[in-house]
Amino acid sequence: MKRNKFYSGIATALLASTVALSGCSFGSDDSSSSDDNASGDAVTVDVFQFKVEFKDQFEELVSMYEEENPDVNINVKTVGGGNDYGASLKTSFSSGEEPDIFNVGGPTDVDEYEKYLADLSDTDAANAALEGTLSGVSRNDQVLGLPFNQEGYGLLYNKKVFEEAGINAEEITTFEALEEAVQTLEDQKGELGIDAPFAFPAKEKWVIGNHLANAYIADEFNNDIMEAYEADTIEFQMGDQMKRFVDLQNEYSVQPTLSLDYSQQVEENFSLGKVAMIQQGNWVYNTVESMDPEFAENNVGILPIPVEGYEGSIPVGVPNYWVVNKESEEEVVQASKDFLDWMYTSEKGKQFVTEEFKFIPAYEGYEDQEIADPISQEIYEYANEGNTLGWVFLGAPTGWTEDAFGVAVQEYLAGDISWEEVEQRATKAWEDARQ
Amino acid sequence: MQNRSLSFWLFLTPVIMGLGIVVVIPFLYGLFYSFTDWNGITANAFIGFENYIKLFQESEFMDSIWFTVKFAVVTVILLNIMGLGLALLVTRNIKSGNLLRTVFFMPNLIGGLILGFIWQFIFISVFGDIAGLTGIEGLNGWLSTTNTGFWGLVILTAWQMAGYIMIIYIAYLENIPKELIEAAKIDGASSFQRFKNITFPLVAPAFTVSMFLTLSMAFKIYDQNLSLTNGGPFNSTQMVAMEIVRTAFSDNQMAYAQAKAVIFFLIVAVIALTQVYYNKKREVEM
Repeated sequence: MKRNKFYSGIATALLASTVALSGCSFGSDDSSSSDDNASGDAVTVDVFQFKVEFKDQFEELVSMYEEENPDVNINVKTVGGGNDYGASLKTSFSSGEEPDIFNVGGPTDVDEYEKYLADLSDTDAANAALEGTLSGVSRNDQVLGLPFNQEGYGLLYNKKVFEEAGINAEEITTFEALEEAVQTLEDQKGELGIDAPFAFPAKEKWVIGNHLANAYIADEFNNDIMEAYEADTIEFQMGDQMKRFVDLQNEYSVQPTLSLDYSQQVEENFSLGKVAMIQQGNWVYNTVESMDPEFAENNVGILPIPVEGYEGSIPVGVPNYWVVNKESEEEVVQASKDFLDWMYTSEKGKQFVTEEFKFIPAYEGYEDQEIADPISQEIYEYANEGNTLGWVFLGAPTGWTEDAFGVAVQEYLAGDISWEEVEQRATKAWEDARQ
Repeated sequence: MQNRSLSFWLFLTPVIMGLGIVVVIPFLYGLFYSFTDWNGITANAFIGFENYIKLFQESEFMDSIWFTVKFAVVTVILLNIMGLGLALLVTRNIKSGNLLRTVFFMPNLIGGLILGFIWQFIFISVFGDIAGLTGIEGLNGWLSTTNTGFWGLVILTAWQMAGYIMIIYIAYLENIPKELIEAAKIDGASSFQRFKNITFPLVAPAFTVSMFLTLSMAFKIYDQNLSLTNGGPFNSTQMVAMEIVRTAFSDNQMAYAQAKAVIFFLIVAVIALTQVYYNKKREVEM
């Protein structure tokens, strides 16, 4: 008898909850249908993008486009960079709220989302994309993504400090020259008013694992991201040089490096002139500018990371791609392509891309545009002259750069393991992932 | 059961629904996914216990469990001592009692992430400056070694949670009948004897509650960990929750991470239930 009552109780509860639930769903149905009515037969494109830095500018561009094309309605959703974006993107896919335009980082992401990716080879933007920028997102003659922009990195240096120390930055192309310059800076620390030549943020695994490593493994994969993506193993052919560069930065850095992070490196140390050099790329410009506009405008230069055989070259690559969801309705797919085309190939769009987004364009036809900041300008020059190293780290196994290699280097810096062990471990992790 | 009428169940409905939607159903889903090769978008194959076998062989996961256990033991002891100590302090008839309660409780109102960043600043910059002024080398680089990173986390957690635990102890301390204490006083018991023989046994239920709270909290800690050390150096201060998130979202092995989460759930459940069972046995009735 008691049991029965228990079950009837549960049944009541369930019944009540169904009523409540269906009540909710009616409510939401109503509101969404009225929304549709309001916008008439306009096409709605949902964009889900990750670049927080240019959210406002991007939304401005979108409203410009909407004014020109009243029948297109674009909703932009932005979620913070890196892992958060990947997780949120997955969540929206598994909850059925698939965006029409979203971002992928490289070959690994392409594989994962391949069945959703529309062929973009018929777009103007795909035709205008610079040579090599599409290799990571091409599959069987189909272009599945359009590059955001180009990025490059090296050793950003404080021109004033270099001048005072009597160092000619243009002569620093080899390792020996760099070591000599570092020694000079170290000797004159007091007079120059710096704490150390470098700020080496060993806490940030991506600085070591993605960028530093990339400079010395690119050659091994012929500077081709797809080759890295298909490689079964990694040999660290330039392992000795890599070690030398890690040691140099670590020894002559503000200490302790293992708890030094990106913001301390860029904001506290570099922007405030406490160090002469940092290993970073053009993406730091806005941060440096917000700390000290005058310094950012006139006093920041970029030096190549010394790699034998690639003297005077800096790694340049595409960090992210736009993709269009194939599963969306046909007219939405078309509207998405049109929008991306307009952004990168129309006059207005081009101007916006360079002036407002401060991108280094990855497309042809930007000759008459002025690139906004001095770091990007220098990188664009390197790229134009073909003095570039590949950008292959996005082809490494998922998580390898940071959680296998980056972690091992941190242990090396803490003195727990030798450099050989770093290489062995990283190689093993690569092989395990590619089995 | 007799008086559980229709209205009883109607009032219970929202809670059952909430619990079902946000706890039970996701948990069952998760359990199911942990036996597949789910990558977050599609699950292609049912692979049985493969994920579970793999995780017991992975040193990183085992290290993070070990680190978390050590952390839990230290924080549980420390927090309960501090919580009780603070509670005893503010329930004495001192003038600033109420003010002190607020002050001690305050850190608990700050979110974990912000707190982590505040302490990061203290450990790196403030400690660094003090080291520079006084020449005490030991204060340098607190977040750059495993050992000091561990203590950094302990200090942060103790600072944040002690006030909260204090509130629980205060509630029980104020429930102790004044007559008992008075009677003991008249009998000539010293303050230590009064504490040991009256106060301590009577706040035993508070131990059950606050040990359960601190234990489960210490195991599940994530945001403080993320903002203070981010697992560094070399993932050695990475607690289980963080390790699982990392497996899921940076290594992109969703199902494997889910298996780890199931094991983690079992560990926490077993430890917490055992603790409650034993503490309950020790409690005395007033």
